[in-house]
Amino acid sequence: MSSKVCKNCGSSDIDVDQARGDAVCMGCGSVLEDNIIVSEVEFVETGGGGSLAVGQFVSAEAGAKHPSFGDVHFTGRESRAQTLQKAKQHINTLGHQLQMNQHCLDTAFNFYKMALTKHLTRGRKASHVIAACLYLVCRTEGTPHMLLDLSDLLQVNVYILGRTFLVLARELCINAPAIDPCLYIPRFAQLLEFGEKNHDVSMTALRLVQRMKRDWMHTGRRPSGLCGAALLVAARMHDFRRTIKEIVSVVKVCETTLRKRLIEFEDTPTSQLTIEEFMKMDLDQECDPPCYTAGLKKQKARQLEMELKKKMEDVEEEIHGYEDEIDAELQSSRPKLRGVYAAYAKEDCENDDDDILSTSSKVADDEEPEDEDELQAVAKHFGKDIEELTLEALIKLEQRRTEEEEEEEEQEEDVPKRKGPSLESILGTMPSAATLGLSESLNSCMGEEKENDGAADSGELDLSGIDDSEIELYLLDDKEIKIKTALWMAENSDYLKEQREKEAKIAKEKELGIYKEKKPKGPAKRRPPIRASTADEAIGKMLEQKKISSKINYDVLKDLNIKPGASPARKAESPKKEPSVTRLTGRNRTPARTPLSLSTPLSTLGKRLQPFIAGQPNKKLAVEQVANSNPLPLPVGAPASGVVVESGPVMYDDAAADEEEEDEEETCVSAMELMGSNDYGCDGDYDDGF
Amino acid sequence: MDSSNDEALDIIVTNVVATFRTRCHLNLRTIALEGTNVIYKPEVGKVLMKLRKPMITASIWSSGKIICTGATSEDEAKLGARRLARCLQKLGFKVRFSAFKVVNVLAVCSMPFAVHLIDFTKNNRPIASYEPELHPAATYRIKNLKATIQVFSTGSLTVTGPNVQNVATAVEQVYPLLFECQKPLCK
Repeated sequence: MSSKVCKNCGSSDIDVDQARGDAVCMGCGSVLEDNIIVSEVEFVETGGGGSLAVGQFVSAEAGAKHPSFGDVHFTGRESRAQTLQKAKQHINTLGHQLQMNQHCLDTAFNFYKMALTKHLTRGRKASHVIAACLYLVCRTEGTPHMLLDLSDLLQVNVYILGRTFLVLARELCINAPAIDPCLYIPRFAQLLEFGEKNHDVSMTALRLVQRMKRDWMHTGRRPSGLCGAALLVAARMHDFRRTIKEIVSVVKVCETTLRKRLIEFEDTPTSQLTIEEFMKMDLDQECDPPCYTAGLKKQKARQLEMELKKKMEDVEEEIHGYEDEIDAELQSSRPKLRGVYAAYAKEDCENDDDDILSTSSKVADDEEPEDEDELQAVAKHFGKDIEELTLEALIKLEQRRTEEEEEEEEQEEDVPKRKGPSLESILGTMPSAATLGLSESLNSCMGEEKENDGAADSGELDLSGIDDSEIELYLLDDKEIKIKTALWMAENSDYLKEQREKEAKIAKEKELGIYKEKKPKGPAKRRPPIRASTADEAIGKMLEQKKISSKINYDVLKDLNIKPGASPARKAESPKKEPSVTRLTGRNRTPARTPLSLSTPLSTLGKRLQPFIAGQPNKKLAVEQVANSNPLPLPVGAPASGVVVESGPVMYDDAAADEEEEDEEETCVSAMELMGSNDYGCDGDYDDGF
Repeated sequence: MDSSNDEALDIIVTNVVATFRTRCHLNLRTIALEGTNVIYKPEVGKVLMKLRKPMITASIWSSGKIICTGATSEDEAKLGARRLARCLQKLGFKVRFSAFKVVNVLAVCSMPFAVHLIDFTKNNRPIASYEPELHPAATYRIKNLKATIQVFSTGSLTVTGPNVQNVATAVEQVYPLLFECQKPLCK
C-alpha cells in the first residue's frame, strides 16, 4: 500500500495480490513486496463440509494468552499479563464465594491493576492484596460484606488483612466511606430467619441502631456488635426467641460484647420507653459515649476519695489533740517510782534529740511510712524490752488512728506508762529517725560526684551523673556468678544440648569432607572472567568454576578432545556453535542469562532464534556457556581461537557478535550437526561472518 | 500551650525509645551470667537488661547495638543509656558510647471534650483513617512531622513521633481539627 511508485522503473502501476500477499510492478516486473500481511478473514473447510473462520479471539485486555510460537519464554511484558490474569481468576473465585456481582469484581480488578502499577503488590502475599481490593470495592459500593468474611475465607488474621487494606486505601487515595451498621442489618436478619416478619424486625432493628448512633454508642465500636444487640432486642420485641448464642454465631462478636452493648443501651433513656412509644416517637436528648461516662464516674470516685481522706486527716488531728491532753494529765498524776526511769528516759531523749537534730534538717515529715524505722530506733534504745516495745509501739501507732482505742490506752498503761513519755517524745520526733536509714544513701548521693572514674574509657562515654557504686549493684560478684551459672545451665540445658549436637554434626561433616558451609547469602559475586590461552583451557577452568550440570554427558565431552583440529569453516563456526549449542542444551537456563545490549532484541523473538545469537558482549556469559556446550567446539578450539579473537585469551567481543548475528537468523542448527557430524554444508553461510 | 484554650493541655510523655552502639562485640552469655536483672533469650539472640534508676529496659545484641525503652524523657533515656554502657564497661567489654539517637517518643494527652470520629475522618481525608472493625481509634498521620496521632472517641489522644518537640507540635496542629468535630456534652 505504501509503495505507489516502483523503485526501479518509477511506474505507478503496481499489482497487489491479496491472496498471495505480493506487490508486483507491472512495468518492470520486480517484486516490490513480499509476504504482505493481510487482514482479511479467511475460512477453512471442516470435515463435515462446513466452514470455519480462521483465527483466535484475542481479548482487549492484556491478560489473554499470546498464541505461542512453540516457546515458553516470557518477556517482561508477558509476565505482567500473566500476573493480571492470575489475579483476575482469584478475584472472580473469591467474589463468587461472596456472591458479589460482576460489576464489583471488575472494579476490584481495576483496583488491582492500579495497585500493580504502583508496586504495592511487592512484599505482600497476592491473596492479601486481592482480598484487600475486594474489600475496598465492598466499602465503596456499600455491600454488607465484612472484613471478617474475607478473612474467614482466606483463613488469615483480620488485622493483617486490615493493614494491607489500609495501605492500599491510602496509596490509591480511595476514600472508603465509614461503615454504617445499618448496612449489616438486612444481612444478619436474613441469617436469623425471621420468616415473614423479617421486614418488620429489620425495620425495628434499624431504628434501634439509629437510636444507638445518636446516643454515641457506635463510635469506636465494631458495627457488628451494635447490630447484634439491636437485632436481639428487635427480635424479642416481635416475640421471637433468639438466644444470645444464635446471634453470636451469626454476627461474629463474643457474648461479653453483646451483653455490654445491651447494658449500655439500658443506661440510655430510650430503654425506658415501652415498645409502642419507641416505635412512635424519638427522644431528642442525646447521650455521652459510654466510655466517657465511665471515665466521669472514675473521676467522681477519685474525688470522693480525696474528700474522705481530707476528712480523715481532720479527724486524726483532733484525736492527736485529745491524746496530748490526756497524756499531759496522766503525767501529772503518775507515781514516784518512775523517777529512776524518768531520769533514764530523759537521758536517752537528749541523746536522741542530738542525733535527730543533726539529721532532721534533711528530712521531710512523713510519719506513716517510717513505722519500721521508728520501731528499729526505738528497739535500739530500749534493748531489753524489745518485744514489749514493738508491741506497745504498734499499739500506740494504731491508737493514733482510731478514736475508740484511746480509752484502752488509758487503762492499759501500767508498765508502758513508765516508758510512755519517753516513747512519745521519741516517737514524736521519730520521723527524723528514718533519716538514720537514709543518711547512708544521702552520703552516697553526695559523694557520687567524686566518683568519675574515667577508667579505661575510649573518651566517648561521658560519665557525669553516673553513680558507679550504684552500677556495681547491677553486677554480681563471683559467688553469685557461680550460682547463676549453675542455674542458667540447668534452665537452658535443652538449648545447650541442641547447640552441642549442631556443632558435633558440623565437625563430623567436616571430617567426612561433605561439610557445606552455610554462608549467609551476601551480594552475588561476579566471577572474574577466565583468562586462558586456548579454548580448552577456558572450558576446563569454566568447568572447575561452575557446578556440574546433570544434562550434559561430560565423558563424551572429554572424548571429543581427541578429534583433530578442523577447517577454517569449523573454526569460524566454533565460536558461534558454542553459544548456539549452549542455547539448546542449556535451554532452561538461558532466559536468566539473556544478555543486555545487542543480543536482547533478538532474544525477544523467541527461543528458537536464540541459537543464532552468538558471541556476547557479556564475556562472562560466553565463557559460562562454553562449559555447557557440546563437545564440538573442543576439537576446533585451538585453531579457532586464533581466528576468532585478535588477542590471546579467548574472549568474545562485540565485533564478532555483530557479524555472527546477522547471518544466523535463518537456519536452525540440528542436533546431528551439533553432535559433531561431518556435514558442514551450511557453513558457507557462516563464513560470511568473517 | 494551645492558642484557643485557657487551660493548658497536659501532654504526658510515657515512653522514649533510643538506640546506641557500643562499637564492640558483646558476649551475651557473659552479660547474662554476670548481671543482675537480665533475661537471656538465646533463640532470638539478645539479652534484656532492666535498670531501676531511670526505669528502662534495654535489648542488647551481640553486635553491640542496644535499644533502650521505657524512659520518660529524652534526657532520662540518655542517662539510662550511659548507665548501661558503664555497666557493660565494668563487665569488661571495651565499650564506646556512640550513635545515640532517640528513635521514638510516645505521649498521651486528653481533650476536655469528646470527638465525633466519623466527622473528623470525613473532614480530614486522606490524612485521617478510621476503621472501627480493626481499631476503635481514628489514625491521623502528619507526614512532614512524621508523627501519628490516634484519636479516641472519648477525646484522649496517643501521639507517637521521633522526638518530643514533634509530638508537641503535632498536638497543636491537630487540636483545632478536633475542636471542630467535638461532641457537645450534655452531662
